[in-house]
Amino acid sequence: MHMADALLAPAVAATMYAASGVAAGVSIHQLKKDDEPQKLPTMAVTAALVFAGQMINYTIPGTGSSGHMCGGMLLSALLGPQAGFLSMIVILAIQCLFFADGGLMALGANVWNMAFYGCFVGYYFIWRPIMHSRWFGEGKGAQRARIIAASILGCVITLQLGAFSVVLETSLSGITELPFGAFVALMQPIHLAIGLVEGLITSAVLVFVYESRPELLREVGAGAGEARRSLKATVAILAVIALLVGGGLSLLASGNPDGLEWALFGNAEEGYAENMGLDEEDFGVASAAADTAGSIQEATSFLPDYAFPNSDSAAGTTVSGVVGSALVAGVAVLICLAGGFFRKKKTTG
Amino acid sequence: MNKMEKALYELTEMDDLAARSSPIHGLCPMAKLLSTIAYIAVVVSFHKYELSALVPMLLWPVLLFQLSGIPVRTCFYKLRIVLPLVMAVGLFNPFFDRAPMLALGGVAVSGGVVSMLTLMLKGVLCLMASFLLMATTPIDHLCAALRRLHVPGMLVTLLLLTYRYVGVMTEELAVMTEAYHLRAPGQKGIHVSAWGSFLGQLLLRSMDRAEELYNSMQLRGYHEHFHYADIKPCTPRDAVYTLCCIALFLLLRLVDAASLLGGLFVR
Amino acid sequence: MIELKNVSFSYEKDRPVIRDLSFRIAEGESVGLIGANGAGKSTVMKLILGLCSGEGQVLIDGEQLSKANLYRLRGKLGFVLQNSDNQMFMPTVYEDMIFGPLNYGVTREETDRRVDAVLDRLGLQELKHRHNHRISGGEKRMAAIATILAMEPQAILMDEPSSALDPYNRRLVINVIRELPQTRLITSHDLDMILDTCSRVILLDGGRIAADGPAEEILRDRALLEAHRMELPLSLSR
Repeated sequence: MHMADALLAPAVAATMYAASGVAAGVSIHQLKKDDEPQKLPTMAVTAALVFAGQMINYTIPGTGSSGHMCGGMLLSALLGPQAGFLSMIVILAIQCLFFADGGLMALGANVWNMAFYGCFVGYYFIWRPIMHSRWFGEGKGAQRARIIAASILGCVITLQLGAFSVVLETSLSGITELPFGAFVALMQPIHLAIGLVEGLITSAVLVFVYESRPELLREVGAGAGEARRSLKATVAILAVIALLVGGGLSLLASGNPDGLEWALFGNAEEGYAENMGLDEEDFGVASAAADTAGSIQEATSFLPDYAFPNSDSAAGTTVSGVVGSALVAGVAVLICLAGGFFRKKKTTG
Repeated sequence: MNKMEKALYELTEMDDLAARSSPIHGLCPMAKLLSTIAYIAVVVSFHKYELSALVPMLLWPVLLFQLSGIPVRTCFYKLRIVLPLVMAVGLFNPFFDRAPMLALGGVAVSGGVVSMLTLMLKGVLCLMASFLLMATTPIDHLCAALRRLHVPGMLVTLLLLTYRYVGVMTEELAVMTEAYHLRAPGQKGIHVSAWGSFLGQLLLRSMDRAEELYNSMQLRGYHEHFHYADIKPCTPRDAVYTLCCIALFLLLRLVDAASLLGGLFVR
Repeated sequence: MIELKNVSFSYEKDRPVIRDLSFRIAEGESVGLIGANGAGKSTVMKLILGLCSGEGQVLIDGEQLSKANLYRLRGKLGFVLQNSDNQMFMPTVYEDMIFGPLNYGVTREETDRRVDAVLDRLGLQELKHRHNHRISGGEKRMAAIATILAMEPQAILMDEPSSALDPYNRRLVINVIRELPQTRLITSHDLDMILDTCSRVILLDGGRIAADGPAEEILRDRALLEAHRMELPLSLSR
């Protein structure tokens, strides 16, 4: 689910950086107020563990495939949402810097999609209420059931939110012709399955921790019924979120009926793609950058002096563009050759 | 090699590359960070049909690869993660955007194809830029730059500490994975019966490790903030480099250099 | 320099790990703390360092260790951990070495001078800017000792300094320990190393002192050692 730089317009990337930055700022403020100096090394070691742990392949019984672990839920259950969030930021930064998983520009969006939902939504709306709910009863078995329910529900819901954000950010950036509704219909079900598996793996790890050292888990054993929010209230909040997301979805989809149709009836309809002459303006979400880009292009493409003579200017521009690109490639090759030549000279001389 | 061993190999490879010396390695980390961010921002700001205008942006990373002596091969190996995602999104474009954009020798090329190629080129360029940054800048230097840019100290320290222990943890898991597979030949992953205990065991040990780590910090007088080495202060040379880079990117963004160049010959 | 007066400690109620322990280590002395697994060696270290506190008094340089003077008194002690990975938490050796001195208010110039002096003395100058996760186990242990020496402590405590080292690196570490001018307290199961580096040995069993005396004497006493689940050092068993 890591977004790449190329999938984002600068305006969208900057917005997501700002959003994630505010969340990080609030988290840091909170952690400083708590004043637990031993937290920092614990965060670092746990983050490193989750980073490595995400590479473990877990065999999914009955299938040939394998699943991975959900970092956000695990970290916030162990460290709390704020510390978990910061740890996730660092994990995503290392993945992007050293493994090219994600991108420098896309880091803000990735933090939001994967860390924010997983840590804050997952903790405050799912983990904590479930840990305090009386519905599961008393005793060790009930606690285990709570952990399993919270992990699975948490991973599924936060992954759905994340996947939805990916679609939203990509579409807002105006880089894909794939209609919004179709994109959503493609992403959400895949991530439902992934979320389920991630939830199961995460719950297995957390239950193991609970069996050996329950004091490591947040909100566990704090006593049922002491919650600031009851399970009923949580269900109500989740229902509202679902309504909002669903409502927003249908609203966006209705502005783009073809996309919804595509999602509902599939791509079987003949001649369908011809009807899909959409560009980003049609879903009303062209970014400011795309706009300026457009106007700049307009300004440059009418300069007559490099247009192909005796033809319409657009075609002329493209031909000179193709030739020019080939020349640029030639220059690049020359640079490489020169570099190789100088290096050789250095090693021999 | 299992996945963790590969990851360790990649980490050490980046480390080794960053420890080399070249004119690019010698620049101050801030200059490299800022120019890289500017480059990526300019690249992604190109409109989806501006393929030819985007092509000259290729020259900057190519030049940097040559100046720094970093092998391009290592960079392209990392493409395997980014490119499939970009492709998956971009591949739909030719199906949805079929309006012909240009004719090449009688073959009409649709807007969708152009926008797909633009997207893929953007993906490759962005990757090259951030790879070059990390291949010429050690992590502690990068963190020094982040601190000077007023990124909160807690986050920077956490990044450094985590980076330090990513190696340790990955190594431990690599050994554990090896041990697991030696006793469970033919299994592709961790069996469901060990889902919890495999990582859980290491997690519990890590908590003890974290405590010991904190003790070690405390015993050396740790209170609240970290002290770092003073790393490469910026010189006028670095400022000139950064400004030149940004000016170049803006110029290439505003002027379709490829078309201009081609126009000279086609005409 | 270090003195324990009637110290008792327990992690769980009614299961004391340290029982009424008293000993005194004089300035410049080199003491080996030995005992079987679970004898309480690590806990004694933790008590001296103020990482846990029990009944009785711990005195450092004549001052009783308390919450108020913990920071100041710890500045006089250096502790080399058994696991160097936990000791070296910064990315490079150099940054790890400056961590302690700068935290204790030593100026940058003085810190840099100390770092170079220590590295020169241990012959580690080429490790200075290396990354901690890229150096070998032996180098890491030496660097961990260097980290502590840069703090210029009056007493150095070491937990298993020779563990997991090859014979060559073990010998290097032993030579370094022998030449340290500071007061030393070393715990180890490597009795040959203790014999090489310490003049006095305290043998712990069940949280009590079973024997305290010259190293040559205690480490040669087969009956005493075997009574406390230990064996003669290899070099003396022939």
